[in-house]
Amino acid sequence: MADFDYMKILYAATTIFLTINYGLVLQGIIGKIYARVGKRIGIRIYQPYINLIRQWVTRNSISHGIMFYLGPVFRFTGGGGILIFLPLIYGAPLFNSFVEAGDLLLIMYFMFLGTLGMALGGGEAGHPYSAIAVTRGLAQVTAADIPLVLAIFSITIQYDTMNIVEIVGAQQGSFLNWTLFTNPLATAAAMLAFLGSMMRSPFDVVLAPQEIPIGPPTEYQSQFLAMLMTNRTIFPIAKTMLFVNLFFGGVALYDSYLLTFLVFFLKTFTVYMWSVFVGVSFPRFRVDHSIRWFMKYPLVIGVLAILFVSIGN
Amino acid sequence: MVDPIYLIVIALGTAFLLGLLKKIAPALQIGLTLLALAAMTALSGSWAYGILTGSAAETAVYTAGFEPPLSINLFMGRAEAVLLTLINLTALLSTLYLKAEHRKTSTYMLMLLMVFVMGLNGVVLTRDLFNLFVFIEIVSIASAGLIALRSSLNQLSAGFKFIIAGALASGMMLIGIVFTYYLTGSLNMDVIGGIMTPALASTGFVGLFLVFIGVVLELKPFPVNGWGLDLYEASVPGVSALVSAGTATAMFYAFTKVTGMMGPLFLDAAAVIGGFTFVGMNVLALNQEKARRLLGYSSISQVGLLVMAFGLMEKLAPAHTETVVFGLLVTHALAKAGLFWISGLVDRENIRDWGLIRTSPPAFLAMILGIFALSAFPPFPSFFAKWELVMTLAQQGGFGFIAVILAGSFIEAVYLFRWLGFALKLDFNPDDRISGSPAGFLAPLFFGLVLVATGYVMGREHGISYVPLAVVFGFIILDFLNVKIKNSLALAVLGVYAWFVYPTFIGDLFKMIFGGIFMGGAFLTTFSGYYDKGRRAGFYPSTMSMFFGLFMLIQAETMLQFFYGWEFMAIGSYFLLIRGKKSMPHGYSYMIFSIGGSFAMLAGFSLAYLSSGTVALSALNGITVYPLLAYSLMLVGFMTKTATVGFHIWLPGAHGEAVADIHFMASAILLKAGVFGMILVLLGMDLDASYSRYILLTLGWLGVLSALIGNVNAVFQESAKRLLAWSSIGQLGYIVFGLSSMSHMGWLIALSLSITHFLYKGILFLIIGGVSLKLGTPDMYKMGGLIRRMPFSFLAVLIAIITLSGIPPLVGFTAKWIIYNMTIQGGFYFQGVIASIAGLVAFLYLFRLIFSMFLGQLKDEHRKIGEISIWFLIPVYLLITYILVVSFFPGTLLGPIGNSLKTLFPENPIVWTGYLASSELGYFNGTMIMNVFLALFTVNFLILLFMNRRAEPVKQFNIVYSAERPERPETTHFAYNFFAPYRRAIGFLEYPLVTRFWASLSDLLYAVSGFFRRVYTGNGQTYLLQIVIFIVLTFMLTKGGV
Repeated sequence: MADFDYMKILYAATTIFLTINYGLVLQGIIGKIYARVGKRIGIRIYQPYINLIRQWVTRNSISHGIMFYLGPVFRFTGGGGILIFLPLIYGAPLFNSFVEAGDLLLIMYFMFLGTLGMALGGGEAGHPYSAIAVTRGLAQVTAADIPLVLAIFSITIQYDTMNIVEIVGAQQGSFLNWTLFTNPLATAAAMLAFLGSMMRSPFDVVLAPQEIPIGPPTEYQSQFLAMLMTNRTIFPIAKTMLFVNLFFGGVALYDSYLLTFLVFFLKTFTVYMWSVFVGVSFPRFRVDHSIRWFMKYPLVIGVLAILFVSIGN
Repeated sequence: MVDPIYLIVIALGTAFLLGLLKKIAPALQIGLTLLALAAMTALSGSWAYGILTGSAAETAVYTAGFEPPLSINLFMGRAEAVLLTLINLTALLSTLYLKAEHRKTSTYMLMLLMVFVMGLNGVVLTRDLFNLFVFIEIVSIASAGLIALRSSLNQLSAGFKFIIAGALASGMMLIGIVFTYYLTGSLNMDVIGGIMTPALASTGFVGLFLVFIGVVLELKPFPVNGWGLDLYEASVPGVSALVSAGTATAMFYAFTKVTGMMGPLFLDAAAVIGGFTFVGMNVLALNQEKARRLLGYSSISQVGLLVMAFGLMEKLAPAHTETVVFGLLVTHALAKAGLFWISGLVDRENIRDWGLIRTSPPAFLAMILGIFALSAFPPFPSFFAKWELVMTLAQQGGFGFIAVILAGSFIEAVYLFRWLGFALKLDFNPDDRISGSPAGFLAPLFFGLVLVATGYVMGREHGISYVPLAVVFGFIILDFLNVKIKNSLALAVLGVYAWFVYPTFIGDLFKMIFGGIFMGGAFLTTFSGYYDKGRRAGFYPSTMSMFFGLFMLIQAETMLQFFYGWEFMAIGSYFLLIRGKKSMPHGYSYMIFSIGGSFAMLAGFSLAYLSSGTVALSALNGITVYPLLAYSLMLVGFMTKTATVGFHIWLPGAHGEAVADIHFMASAILLKAGVFGMILVLLGMDLDASYSRYILLTLGWLGVLSALIGNVNAVFQESAKRLLAWSSIGQLGYIVFGLSSMSHMGWLIALSLSITHFLYKGILFLIIGGVSLKLGTPDMYKMGGLIRRMPFSFLAVLIAIITLSGIPPLVGFTAKWIIYNMTIQGGFYFQGVIASIAGLVAFLYLFRLIFSMFLGQLKDEHRKIGEISIWFLIPVYLLITYILVVSFFPGTLLGPIGNSLKTLFPENPIVWTGYLASSELGYFNGTMIMNVFLALFTVNFLILLFMNRRAEPVKQFNIVYSAERPERPETTHFAYNFFAPYRRAIGFLEYPLVTRFWASLSDLLYAVSGFFRRVYTGNGQTYLLQIVIFIVLTFMLTKGGV
């Protein structure tokens, strides 16, 4: 490890810390927007901070065993890992801490680490409803990932690389270079897959709040829940940034930090709101419906995306 | 050397003497008979020994002191000596079995027997045509008497039909002899053979034909042999053994003499009649459930095979006729005699009642030897004979006949192994025992061992080592010992063998990898065998057979040695897989697919031999004669072993019902034999030729489809073992897909996946097997919550499933990365998509496995259960250690393999800079990933532990429920029909298309069999008519060719 740059550890920690903050603020803003749309006043923008800190300092807690710990730990490791494996800001070493650990494929598979951990932790709770939730979730996630895999195939063929930094680099110059415009089919397939993984309507039967008032939400409490909540601040950002990098030109480092941050905010916010807009507009699918849905139009779009680039090649 | 004429003299003399001594004690009569037969055996045996070792010369015996044509001459040659020893020995041993009959019939039976044996000796020895006719008549009459021994209705009826048919046959023959004498002026076969020319043959065709057909009818050709079947079914077993081994041998030899005398005139007819009989009898035997009738079908079909082999070899390659015919004839005689004698001991009409043979291990062993000998497995002579026959046919372009031989043999295996399965597994009344003296098994066992010895000698010429046979038989003899001793012995044997043999592999990448998997795997799985506390009868010979077969595959230098190893391995694996409680249909299915596959392989090898002219393994390179067919056949053979989709239906049942360590052996080690074979074939193909493209494309699609079907089906299994079995089909699909790409990345993944699959699947099999053993069931919904009771098992399974699914940081991710690179670089986009989908589906069943078993709620009966056997855990944790090492430093596995592959596939390798692996498309750094993961994990874990230090631990059942309270923990465990919504959505992929296909194929075969069986009406007059029609038809068909 002689030539290992120990600054990376500092960069990684900073990245995670900053993202947590960003995530909390984003949650507050979105909560406010939801409320205002419904003609309510809504929560304070800094309310998520209070929620999180309160959760971490809860005094009473119960534990179901060692695997119970590993659920949130795996989850947060997954979320944090993706954050530091991903080039958040193109050209900024601070936000590219461990990019050379792996390429696009690593990110794809590392996302499953969190899912696995959650599944195991939920299972350890001993609750049958956890198991039901997990089966639904896993089944849906694997189906939702099919168009994503197809889209990724398509852009890998298109850019002839799996290196995310290179993919982002190829999209620089003008916004017409974005994959959104050079390969719209792949983008469409991927954004549909994105809906599935964000688990909002119509794909939110997995943890349907009205249906399952018990299970992981109740078994995981105090600090366990705190860690999960922390993860929930960074994981959506990481996922969104992955899609922004692949399809919307990424976020390049401008001369002005403010401009960079503004672009970052705009892009992540827009992509994130895509799932929110769809979520408020559509009712819920049943699991077998959603699986079959993913195997229809998104699958076809994905296949067409691959055909499109392979013929072009 | 004693004059051969004494064979006739002793027999005839004893018959007369017995007539005179009718009144003396039965024991004396028997003793006299035995003495006479022993003397005859010794006489013929001494001649055989003498001629074979060269100390005696083949001699002609002139009766009455004159030479022919004034006298009849006999000839004691090599073939005669050996065959007579065989016949006389069979007669001697059969007499022991006929003692019970003797009590009822007194001297008459023994007189008949001596006359019968005399006739057989005469048939074999004589060189005079008319003399041959006389001796045949003697045999017929004596046979009729022996058949009707007990005077039951069956026997009298059978004997009568036999007489009628025999009379017609010999009548024809006599007329033919008259005409032939008129034509040639001589009755001596050598003289006639000397003056036979095509012109002469044409003029005297009718006469010659009648002689030919007379002899052929004695051999019971299909379909005019109903009378022959009845006699096998009706006679007492001692007589059936005599007829099958003795008469058939003698008559067949007579046939060869007579046909040989006529030049090439009837060789084609012989081949066709023989082939028709061989296939026809085997097909009709399928529906047969009576043991002796079944053996009758088999006997007649084997004679058909002999006739066909003779007709073909004499025409195409006379120099090798002796090897082929001798191998087949000896195997048939010894095995059939043994099986008929055993049928007398077991004395059960229906093959389903043969379970009681298990009460006598030596008899059972004899039966096993007989059945495998008949199916042409190594080490028996029939194996080498069949090889020789197929290779010769290929060289001379007789492809149709190869198909006929293999099809017939396959069908024979179908009913023989069905019978063996019944004997192995079906229940019997525990009070039943084998009738007759315990020593009754000695003769069949002796014959079985003679077969093994003969096969061994034949094998020596082809470079087959004695070690595997010695080891297997050593363990058979030591089978009475306790498991602990046998296991240690087995480990010692494997260790020593590996010590001496593995260094010879160094330098060859594939031999090193697969040798390592086979040898290392053998050692590891045997180690876990210590868990058993009893005797584990029959386990060790089987495992040794399987492992040494596998080793032989790697050490093989010729196609024959490879094939020998392949079949040897199949024997062992069959017995291992059929050991499970419900394994009878599955072991059977496995064997049938295995045999079908090896026949396809054999056909492919024969084309390779034709193309290259050599039997060395290099013959597989660049086949130029029908290359598409040749390579496809071989690949089909290997695909039956890797359970690629289309040939996979045996695996879920066979592996799913197997015991823990056997499941490990079968899935982690045995399947790789097919991969090794595929590698040999793929390396031999000419990649620029168009056939290569078709084959590789098909193979690639079959691979990814196997991956998808395997993984999808695994998701819906309730039994953990079946889940893992389907998973294996999926994983092997990836390996096959990788191989088909013929690229650096593809072969890298195939080879490394072979190794890592062995690692993580080994863990899963041992743990799941251990848990199933402990709990008594493999069904996951009967388990649950075991994490508290079996934490080590849980941890092992967790690591295994993380590896299998490809989640970083463990080494499974490396595999996914390489596959991804391979598909993009190679342009296999759509196959890659299916492979990715299969990979996603894998998450589902992996989670189901670990959740249903270890998480959730504990069942009441398992509250006090302990961890699984330490003998399973030790190998498991060794495997885990290796997985962790390879995950930390993937370069240690991929680097050396990649380097060696560069000579074969220099393009697009992985470039290693330190710990970073990069390709044209992307990169990954396994060590860094692992470090990051560990750092994040540890930090998070410590934070949580610290913040949670005052957490209150609660029991598994202490869960929050809103309003209702669950009654018992076990009712809250969700495990049955786990993925119901998924099933609704994609359940159509579960449709058993392939099973339906094979099932309908087999139904068709049985229907055909049932239909054509109607030719056996049981009516003697019908049989007579059939014979006449047969004679006329054959005449017309052969005359057309003259």
